[in-house]
Amino acid sequence: MRPLLNQLGMTLRLHARNKMALIYSYLFPTIFLIAFWVLYRYEQVPLARHMGELLTVTALGGACFGLPTSMVSERERGVWRRYRLAPVSTGTLVGGTVLARYALLIIAGLLQLALAMAIGMPLPRHPASLFIAFTCVAFAFIGLGLVIAMMADNVPAVQALGQCIFLPMLIIGGVAVPLASLPDWAQRLSAFFPGRYAVEALQSCVTGGGLGTARFSALALLLIGAAGALAGAKMFRWDAQQRFAANSGKGWAVAALAAWLAVGVTAESRGHVARTRTMASQTVTEPAPVPTPPPQPSQPAPTIATPQPPPAQPPVNPENPPVHANGAPERPKPSPATAPATTTPAPVASLPTPNAEGPPPVPSSAAASWRAVTMADIDRDLIFTRLPPDAGIVTPIARSDEEPDQDAVNQLEQIRLALPNWKPGQVDDPVQRVRNFLYVAGVVDVFQMEGLERFLPLVVFERLEADFKKDDLIKILYWIALHPSDGNDKAVDEMQPLGIPNGPGDMDQTRNRVAVYAVKLLGRLTGKIVPQ
Amino acid sequence: MVSPKVSVINLQKRYGGVEAAQGVTFEIEDGEIFGLIGPNGAGKTTTVECTIGLREPDQGSIHVCGIDARRRPHDVKQKIGAALQTTALQDKITPREALALFGSFYKNRAEPDRLLARFALADKANAPFDTLSGGQRQRLALALAFVNNPELVFLDEPTAGLDPQARRELHGEIAQMKRDGHTVFLTTHYIDEAQELCDRIAVIHQGRIVATGAPSDLIGRSDRLPTVSITTAQPIDPECWSGLTPLEGLEPRANGAQFRTSNVNAVVAELLRRFEARGTTILELHVQKTTLEDVFLELTDTSSPDPRAQSPAR
Repeated sequence: MRPLLNQLGMTLRLHARNKMALIYSYLFPTIFLIAFWVLYRYEQVPLARHMGELLTVTALGGACFGLPTSMVSERERGVWRRYRLAPVSTGTLVGGTVLARYALLIIAGLLQLALAMAIGMPLPRHPASLFIAFTCVAFAFIGLGLVIAMMADNVPAVQALGQCIFLPMLIIGGVAVPLASLPDWAQRLSAFFPGRYAVEALQSCVTGGGLGTARFSALALLLIGAAGALAGAKMFRWDAQQRFAANSGKGWAVAALAAWLAVGVTAESRGHVARTRTMASQTVTEPAPVPTPPPQPSQPAPTIATPQPPPAQPPVNPENPPVHANGAPERPKPSPATAPATTTPAPVASLPTPNAEGPPPVPSSAAASWRAVTMADIDRDLIFTRLPPDAGIVTPIARSDEEPDQDAVNQLEQIRLALPNWKPGQVDDPVQRVRNFLYVAGVVDVFQMEGLERFLPLVVFERLEADFKKDDLIKILYWIALHPSDGNDKAVDEMQPLGIPNGPGDMDQTRNRVAVYAVKLLGRLTGKIVPQ
Repeated sequence: MVSPKVSVINLQKRYGGVEAAQGVTFEIEDGEIFGLIGPNGAGKTTTVECTIGLREPDQGSIHVCGIDARRRPHDVKQKIGAALQTTALQDKITPREALALFGSFYKNRAEPDRLLARFALADKANAPFDTLSGGQRQRLALALAFVNNPELVFLDEPTAGLDPQARRELHGEIAQMKRDGHTVFLTTHYIDEAQELCDRIAVIHQGRIVATGAPSDLIGRSDRLPTVSITTAQPIDPECWSGLTPLEGLEPRANGAQFRTSNVNAVVAELLRRFEARGTTILELHVQKTTLEDVFLELTDTSSPDPRAQSPAR
């Protein structure tokens, strides 16, 4: 034990004296944090929705570059050979080095959290779970780092190998670019990289329902980490003269990759893999961290609105407000976040913005109120084939033959019983009432409450069908789909009685999800979508 | 009878198709400085690494300090200290930290301050490794070999790459180890170093020990003759050499010559007479008896493979 602690302490001390290591461990994550802060500066709650990504980048950098770089350079110089002359086991030395790296990752993670909170992020919802999730992430990536250290013959090889893993994970693995912004093939591919599970596990603890809602991700990380640690141990080399190509244990590198494959295949078969199409990413999700070019007219039509003539309506239109059945204008959404110039694009608003000076171009035949909606409007304005798929991560809906797990069954039943008496479900305005019910599914979707989010839409749909006449419901759903930014969103702060955490910070995202769910239900009611 | 500190019998190790050690056998007695010399690729490093547990031999028995090194390598490591050819440590570790860290791996620990003082590192105790000179690094490597008060010290090419000053200092250190009663096992390719420091030497060639003994014994056993070299002011008349006996390996040069003879007195006296008669002036005259280097070259001459393979370890 004493040798291990000494080795651990020495590794930490030497790390603190190494300028390059400090830059890699602390400066890079800080730059990432600032970059994310700038990119997502219009979000109401700074950085909260990106902590998963940021912490993953930190862990990934420290474990995939920092750990193998120091191990390989020490091995190259003969430090490990010198250790081997002493009566100390491989396990002790590697254990000390790995624990030191874990401690360094924890420090870097805490630093990042502190920085984010200084900028204005609230305390994560589940701090203890976050610690556990981060430990799982560190374990997975340290295992990966060990494999890299044993495969690389020298430091430049670490850089090359590390980049081969780091960059794809960042770009198409769901780490730096949100999954929902990625094309279908990339989302499928991302299921085979650990980065995605790291982000999901961490994010669930910062803004979601805790690690319990991301059990699959946590298990995936543990499996990937265990396979990496085992492969690293089997391929261990003391001496730089033992080359990887001549190493009898090199086949174990395949075992480490097999874990990725196993996780990916399991995710695929269990429906954890998103199949959100490019369209969906442009219309219903947050922007990528790189500025997204405005949609070109030549691109496929957005989900909900008609491709031509352009937009149904801008999100807020005081000059020509949508009118309720009783003639009272629906109140414009008070949140400043809906101002078109500063928000993430809503389904409709993502279309080329009309000239703000002139009168808003409303489709000539668009209905003036929800009661005037006709099937012709629906056929003209909605494209059901371009919706995010039900099996995806955005607005998922369970298949009829899927069974929720026992926890979810209880929770769904509790919500089913609570919905008829839920206050926001009793407001007079029918449009607002439908919105409020849809918020229930939308909030859970935004929080990515695994286990629940796929089944809850069915409960909500059931409630809506019980509460409204079918014809009215169809018209209202159409209205909501075309006016995602109207109405109020107070309901998101009244989720507690249903056993759901109150409001996500990003209302635009929630409203987008509501609009998509509206179209999905509308499609089901009109027979334009045949659920699986 | 005291059992030897090291006993290696029939050590064999092959890498791919190369037989690095083909039945190496030797013993090291308590309290002696034992040198293993041989050309590059002769099997020195393989022999040392197998003996100290860095490599697993294919065959053979190895006992160190009475412990079976193949079965209980950890116990052997507790009792020995070792300095490898080039000991590199992390750039920013200080000698004091290195001694404390490595000391913590052993049951029997020497005081870091004592080691720092003994190896003249006290004023560099807190300097990062990357600021130490080559000699200081090598002294630190030696100090690290002593962190466990070892019964036996292995030094692999301890002076390789050092300047003459640092080499001389290190020789002093090694001599001191012997005076302190340590048993030292060293490898070197500096023959003069082996001759100066070692009580006994084993010469390894092509994976086998081809000779073992005290330096003077090895030289005495050599049938090589003393070498005479002469430099003259004028060219030497070739007639001078006719009938001159006993004479071997004559190499005439423009103004001088080199040869070997078993009777230096008689041959040189006759040669002086012949020079006197021809008016040839001698500028330099050297007589050199056989050196360990001559013996080494003779034993490891690759043009006559395995010269002593029939009578190893005499």
